[in-house]
Amino acid sequence: MLLIIKGMETKNKIKVAIIGAGRMGITHYSIINSHPDVLIDSVAEPSGIVSGMINKYLPVKTFDDYNELFEKAKPDAILVCTPPNLHYTIIKKACEKGIHVFVEKPFSANCKEAKELTALYSNLPLVNQVGYVNRFNDVFNKVKEFIDNNVIGKLVRFKSEMFSCTVTGRTENSGWRSSRTNGGGAVFEMASHAIDLVNFLFGKPEKVTGSSLNFIFSRDVEDAVSSTFLYNNGMTGTIYVNWSDTSYRKPTNKIEVFGLAGRIIADQLSLKIFLNADNKKYNLRQGWNTIYITDIFNPVPFYVRGNEFTSQLYHFVDCILGRENSNRCSFSDGLITHEIISEIFNDYEKNGKLK
Amino acid sequence: MKDRIDKIVFGDNQFFGINHMSQEKAQQLAEKFFDITNIFKIYNIAIEAGIKGIMLNSNDRAKDICNFFRSDPGRYDHLNWYPSIPYPYKYANLVAEKGIMPAINEVMFKDNNASGIANMFFKGSQAVLSKDAIKMMQMLIDVEMKIFRNLNVKVVFLQNIITDLLLGYDIKIVFEEYCNYIERKYKALPGLITQNMPWLIGKLKEWKINNVVICTSFNKIGYLMSPNVESYIKASSFNKPEDYQIMAMSTLASGAIPPHEAYSFINNQNIQSVVFGASSAGHINETLKLIKI
Repeated sequence: MLLIIKGMETKNKIKVAIIGAGRMGITHYSIINSHPDVLIDSVAEPSGIVSGMINKYLPVKTFDDYNELFEKAKPDAILVCTPPNLHYTIIKKACEKGIHVFVEKPFSANCKEAKELTALYSNLPLVNQVGYVNRFNDVFNKVKEFIDNNVIGKLVRFKSEMFSCTVTGRTENSGWRSSRTNGGGAVFEMASHAIDLVNFLFGKPEKVTGSSLNFIFSRDVEDAVSSTFLYNNGMTGTIYVNWSDTSYRKPTNKIEVFGLAGRIIADQLSLKIFLNADNKKYNLRQGWNTIYITDIFNPVPFYVRGNEFTSQLYHFVDCILGRENSNRCSFSDGLITHEIISEIFNDYEKNGKLK
Repeated sequence: MKDRIDKIVFGDNQFFGINHMSQEKAQQLAEKFFDITNIFKIYNIAIEAGIKGIMLNSNDRAKDICNFFRSDPGRYDHLNWYPSIPYPYKYANLVAEKGIMPAINEVMFKDNNASGIANMFFKGSQAVLSKDAIKMMQMLIDVEMKIFRNLNVKVVFLQNIITDLLLGYDIKIVFEEYCNYIERKYKALPGLITQNMPWLIGKLKEWKINNVVICTSFNKIGYLMSPNVESYIKASSFNKPEDYQIMAMSTLASGAIPPHEAYSFINNQNIQSVVFGASSAGHINETLKLIKI
């Protein structure tokens, strides 16, 4: 593997394959294809309609089956964008083949598999990353910087929320999205972002309690979730996620943090911070301060869906090329988020229903 | 140069709760313009102030807005229209819920009756369709453009989410066919909205695709401008308007730059047009005074 990495640094491009050409697969394809050190060489996609179109218009090989792709195309790295229930077998195989992996969230359809994959990759010189894109958002990174540098003092309480108008009416069951064992439902597909943001900013809670789910339009999976997280240091927090909220035009994350020296309210685009006293280091005054994305954004070389989507994939490439030493959302980070999700479901089953 | 675009075009983000800097501002605007007559009022103020070009996205409310303008041709016939298609969230949400092909199916055949031939074509065989993404694109354009029928369409813009997605794929034929189709069928100029203007111009030149209107974020702080503001200044300064007319959007970076400062920068760039949105008479008149390109 080291030899391959060395080769890439000199002349060769990283050979990337896209596994699954659904909504995220086609977005990631466009973004990573803009990277000068990347060559997209192959795509695995079982739908004949989609792969037929890729074949006709794009200079890549297509395969129905990822096993065949691994054998014939021999990629250096893959972007796994299939339904979550397929992640495990694909990544396990990729590991055997010595392939770097970026996998869309949720990491896997269950915690046991996520744990096994994390262990498999933990001792290998292979980049492994989960697509929790909020970790690459400039506002949320500023929130983390403030928290880590004690700007709002000892943390007491937080709230992490996410809203979207994704499921707004009763629909017929459609594939993996209507089954939790396959990784569908608002917790896996959407709340995982809000939960990972908690993991990113505050770490793993000691205990998960008070979890409830709402089945608003979907029959077999939840459309809304809330839960309470308890920490050893006395901090507590809640999450609330609803993907059937038509008042939101597009998916929105909100985070609110109360500390002994101040309070932060943030979403993807702006941050408000109230401080009990001036903070010279960060040029913040006592009382309310507002920071907009326009004040703090880091430009990206190519934009498709938001700076964070480009940043996360370019980071993956930088890690493969050895330009970055530590991955900002590795499998072990994704595993912790997965463990929290499991605890929410367990808590709901035990305590969240009326007898 | 044939078909010079309007120097100043009135945009629509303010009407639809879109603000790229603040969700709170976006919400306030959505509330203000919930009543569509408030939208018409602002349009009338803008038109009385001298606006002759209107950019409008083919979203849920565009139909009513177009009906309003069609209802009084004597008053509004002189306007040039700059539609932008499609309304991305309609597709994004449908795709999330149903998958790509069912979503396209639904857009084309549920609420709209595309031509009978298209209907037969699609229903007849998805396999045939799979070999012809161009035909599919043309049918989707037709569905979106029905909203703007009988209006004087000057440019048809492809939304940046689609332009930039396709740009990443690096496929000439789709851009070529889009431009040809808009010219041929709608007798309008093809337009591309992008957040990657220098990259797009480079590619269009390489592909020898000319006479395209490029609408792109252009502001002093480089917000929504990839890779950076310097590349934008350079790319536009070398550009010949005969090849690509450039229309600047997000000139205030969603309000981050004070208007005076924003336009003293914009007025010094080699651009042919500015699209701006405003939600009061004061802001409209102030902006019209400040733009001197």
